[in-house]
Amino acid sequence: MPQATVSNATRPAEIVVVENVMKRFGAFTALNDVTLKVDRGEKIVLCGPSGSGKSTLIRCINHIEKHDAGRIIVDGVELTNRIADINSVRCEVGMVFQSFNLFPHLTVAENCMLAPIKVRGISQSEARDRALDLLRKVRIQDQADKYPAQLSGGQQQRVAIARALCMQPKIMLFDEPTSALDPEMVKEVLETMVELAKEGMTMVCVTHEMGFAREVADRVVFMDRGNIIEEAEPETFFRDPRTERAKAFLNQIIH
Amino acid sequence: MNALDFSIVAQSWPYLWSGLLFSLSLTAAAFAIGMILGTCLALAQHFEIPLVAQIIRGYVAIIRSIPLILVLFWFFFLVPIVLGHLSGNGRPIPIGATYTAFITFGLFEAAYYSEIIRVGLRAVNKGQFEACQALALSTYDTYRHIVLPQVLRVASPIILSQTIILFQDTSLVYVLSLTDLLGAASKLAQLNGRLVEMYLVIAVAYLVISSAASQCVATLRKRYAAAAAR
Repeated sequence: MPQATVSNATRPAEIVVVENVMKRFGAFTALNDVTLKVDRGEKIVLCGPSGSGKSTLIRCINHIEKHDAGRIIVDGVELTNRIADINSVRCEVGMVFQSFNLFPHLTVAENCMLAPIKVRGISQSEARDRALDLLRKVRIQDQADKYPAQLSGGQQQRVAIARALCMQPKIMLFDEPTSALDPEMVKEVLETMVELAKEGMTMVCVTHEMGFAREVADRVVFMDRGNIIEEAEPETFFRDPRTERAKAFLNQIIH
Repeated sequence: MNALDFSIVAQSWPYLWSGLLFSLSLTAAAFAIGMILGTCLALAQHFEIPLVAQIIRGYVAIIRSIPLILVLFWFFFLVPIVLGHLSGNGRPIPIGATYTAFITFGLFEAAYYSEIIRVGLRAVNKGQFEACQALALSTYDTYRHIVLPQVLRVASPIILSQTIILFQDTSLVYVLSLTDLLGAASKLAQLNGRLVEMYLVIAVAYLVISSAASQCVATLRKRYAAAAAR
C-alpha cells in the first residue's frame, strides 16, 4: 500500500487525485478509466449528457459510491475500505445534492449544527454561532428556526450549502444543485455559489449552467459514456469544442 | 324486568379503579418494553446481521401467527418448568401471574412494533442516508438523530393504533386470574347480579379511552399529511 498521509510541508498542489478509476453498476460501466486532478482553489465544472458518469465521479470523491478500481486521493488521504480514512476525507469534502436532502425533522439551524457537534466535536453554542454566520452568508439567517418544508426550493438549497460549509470543508462538491429548482430560484443559488468561488473555495460542480461555468470555472470537463473526453478553459470549450459529442451536447443545451 | 340500577357502580368504584390502573400500567409497560425491544429487533433485521436477522424473522412470524392468550398460557406454565430444569434441581420455578403478564405482553408487542418500525426504516429516503454520509456522521448518529426520529414520526399513527389494540387485549389477563378493568367488572357483576349495568359502564369506559386515543391518531395523521403536503 502507498502511504496514506502526506505531511503539510510537502503538500502537493493537487487536493483531489483521481487515477484510472472504474465503477460499474452491474453490467453498466458508469466510469471507465477516469483520471482527473483538481488543484487547491481550482473550480471545475463537470458536464455531459445524462448517464455519462459525472455524478458518479463526484460521488466517488467522498466515497458515497465505492470505486471498483483505480485510486482516489483526497488531501493526501487515499480512499480505501478503512472507515477512519473515509470519514477523514468526508470531513474535508462538503457535498450539495440535487434534491437538497435536508433533515426534515430538524430546524434549519439544527440541520447546520448536527454534524459539527457530533463529528467535529464543537460545543452547542459554537455550532450555533457558526451556523448563523453561514446562514447569514447565504442570506437566509431569518429562517434559522424554521423547518425545511417551510422554505422554498432555492432557500432549501442555500441551507444545504450552509450545512456543508459548517463542517469547514476544503472542497465542495455540487451534484446538479439547480436541476430540481424552479427557474426563478436558480439564480439565487448560483449567486451563492459564485460568491463561494470568489472566496477561493475549491469546487467541483456537476451543472449545465453554462453562465456559471463561464463566470467561475477554471476548467470545464466534458464526460461521455464513463470517460472524460474533453477538458478545456470555459471560453475555449464553449467557443470551439474539439469533439463532435461535445458540439452536439452544447447545441442541445444552448437551444 | 327490573329497572337499571347504577348505584352498584358507584359503590364498587375503588375496585373498578384499581382494575383500570392495572390495565393502564400493563399497557404502558408492554408499550415501553415492546417499543425498545421492537426497535432493536427491527434494526437487527434492517442491518441484516447474519443469523440474528433470520432468528428474529422466525420469532416475529411465530408470535404474529399465535393468539396472545396461547402465549400467555405457554409462558405461565412452560417457562417455570424450563427455568426449573435450567437451575438444575428440576422443580418448576414459578414466576407469578403479574410478571408473566408484563413479560409476555412486552415480548408479544415487540413483534408487532418491530414490523411497523422495520417497514418505516425501509421508507426513509435514500438521500437522507447520503446526506449523513457526506457529513461524516457515524452510523450510530445517523440512526439516533436522523433515521429513527423520522421513522417514529411517520409510524406514530400506526404505533398508536397498535397500542389501542394492546390496551383492549389486556383484558386477556383474566386467564392468569389477574384483575384488570374487565376482570374487576365481571367479578362484581357476578357477585351482585348486576351484569347489564356493569358491562354497560365498562363498555363506555373502554369506548371513551379508546376513542380518545383514536382521536389522537387522527390528529397525528392530519398533522403529518399537512406537513408532507407543504
